[in-house]
Amino acid sequence: MVKSTNNRAWVFVIPALLLLGFVAVFPIMMVVNYSFHDIFVPPAKVWVGLEWYIEILGSIRFWESFGRSLLFSAIILTLEISLGIAIALSMPKKGVLVAVCLVSMSVPLLVPWNMIPIIWHVYLDIIGKVLATIGVGFDWKLNAIHTWIAIVLMDFWHWTSLVVLLCYSSLTTIPDAFYCTAAIDGASRWDLFRYIELPKMKGVLMMAILLRFIDSFMVFVEPFSLNSGGPRRTTTFLAQALGGDVVSFNYGPAAARSVIFFIIILIVSWTFKTAMDVRESDNKYNKMTTDANS
Amino acid sequence: MKLNSSYLKHLHFRWLPTSLYIAFLFLPLLPIVYISFHSTQRIHGASTAVGQYTWLNYIHVFQNPALTAAIINSITYVILNILFTIPVALLAAYAFSRYSFVGDKHLFFGFLTLRMTPPVVMVLPVFLLFSALDLLNTPLAIALAHCMFNVPISIWVLESFISAIPKEIDETAFIDGYSFFQFFTRILVPLMAPGIAVACFFCFMFSWVEVVFARILTVTQGKPISMAIGALFSYRTDIGLVMAMTVLSIIPGALVIYFARNHIAKGFTIKQLN
Repeated sequence: MVKSTNNRAWVFVIPALLLLGFVAVFPIMMVVNYSFHDIFVPPAKVWVGLEWYIEILGSIRFWESFGRSLLFSAIILTLEISLGIAIALSMPKKGVLVAVCLVSMSVPLLVPWNMIPIIWHVYLDIIGKVLATIGVGFDWKLNAIHTWIAIVLMDFWHWTSLVVLLCYSSLTTIPDAFYCTAAIDGASRWDLFRYIELPKMKGVLMMAILLRFIDSFMVFVEPFSLNSGGPRRTTTFLAQALGGDVVSFNYGPAAARSVIFFIIILIVSWTFKTAMDVRESDNKYNKMTTDANS
Repeated sequence: MKLNSSYLKHLHFRWLPTSLYIAFLFLPLLPIVYISFHSTQRIHGASTAVGQYTWLNYIHVFQNPALTAAIINSITYVILNILFTIPVALLAAYAFSRYSFVGDKHLFFGFLTLRMTPPVVMVLPVFLLFSALDLLNTPLAIALAHCMFNVPISIWVLESFISAIPKEIDETAFIDGYSFFQFFTRILVPLMAPGIAVACFFCFMFSWVEVVFARILTVTQGKPISMAIGALFSYRTDIGLVMAMTVLSIIPGALVIYFARNHIAKGFTIKQLN
């Protein structure tokens, strides 16, 4: 479908702009303003310039939690994306079981976020007892690695379904004719995946990777509710310091942290979008040149 | 039924990852459901001993005014949020899908960035803004705050659905003399019904589960389900009640996805803005 160029289309976008401007853009401007002040209460503001930024970016704890968040995101992305694709590939595409699968896989996505630690507290205790009977110690309160395993499990349980649903939706758009042709041509399972299924999923996968990266980088509820960032700060990720500042109404540092996080998100989103655009324009260029040559 | 190895392989191994995964998803929920059906605290005057199979926990949920108010609050702000988000997102998605205009790619990117912002970043200024406007403690505040995340996602989903409807339908309608508003309400929206269902599902999914805004924006009243459960933890916590409430908080979500199940699969194609 060819889109016509018409700048009057801005009229349609105005309601969204007004709503989001009120709810999002205006608060962001407030945050930037607060980040440059030392505020005891909002009427009593003192301009301090970049002091909060220097203090936060110069503190070793910030960079430690930054590193932990990066490691956590890397683990989560590898696990969730690869297993998500594998599960989506094995889901039935027709029949009554499709509805059963979709509904059951969406259940973890629909649990309120602070119930998830409650559910997992109970479950982890049970697992601990079961493992104790076979002699394996699982101490997710005092052992750092076990706490990490617990948090990774919780996030995996919670969010892999999103990746599965996204990949499954693009897989269902592949016509059966493609599979028949591949079978006739004698393609192996790996070839099928690499040349038919993966290209179809590329757009959706990019979105899933971006969403999961940002959400896992900024994870707050799960590690905080499980063990408050313990034992001894080994599961303190980036967002927890911000949560602490917000709850204690430290406007200045909270705002400065918020701006830093927002800039990180902007950079990551922009990089992804540019990569997607470059890939798309590459495809179009290739298509144009092959069409011209044929 | 032939039980040779190739038949068996065909039958079981193909669906093994899916079945294992679904089993993994349901395992943590089993203790929850189990506990919710057993009485866990000897209630003064009740004749049920501890540990018996009973529906008492669920009855207690509905007898507790704070818990029922919380359920009503949560449902209210989710519905309000859907009422705000869908019309606004539908208009914007129509623009993105049918027209290219100056700054459309950057605008779309801007919307996407708003979705990516973690709630905890926006909490403080939104709290101050809403308290200045006297909107705190109402479901309206939470509904508005959630729009920041739901409008971008809805625009993304609706745009791919509108793009699937050929432009010729618009043109035919305009030739036939429909005004834009008539075209929108009488032709486009009925055609878009699956897409709107998927967008509603996303709005519901995010709004129902989000805790940060729901917690900070409601101080004394208007508490949602997640906070009401948190308040149940006290000196002698009635775990059965907590578990019953948890199960009840999952049920609306399951219902929504059941009703939208046929259309979820169609909703996620990403279209690059050309």
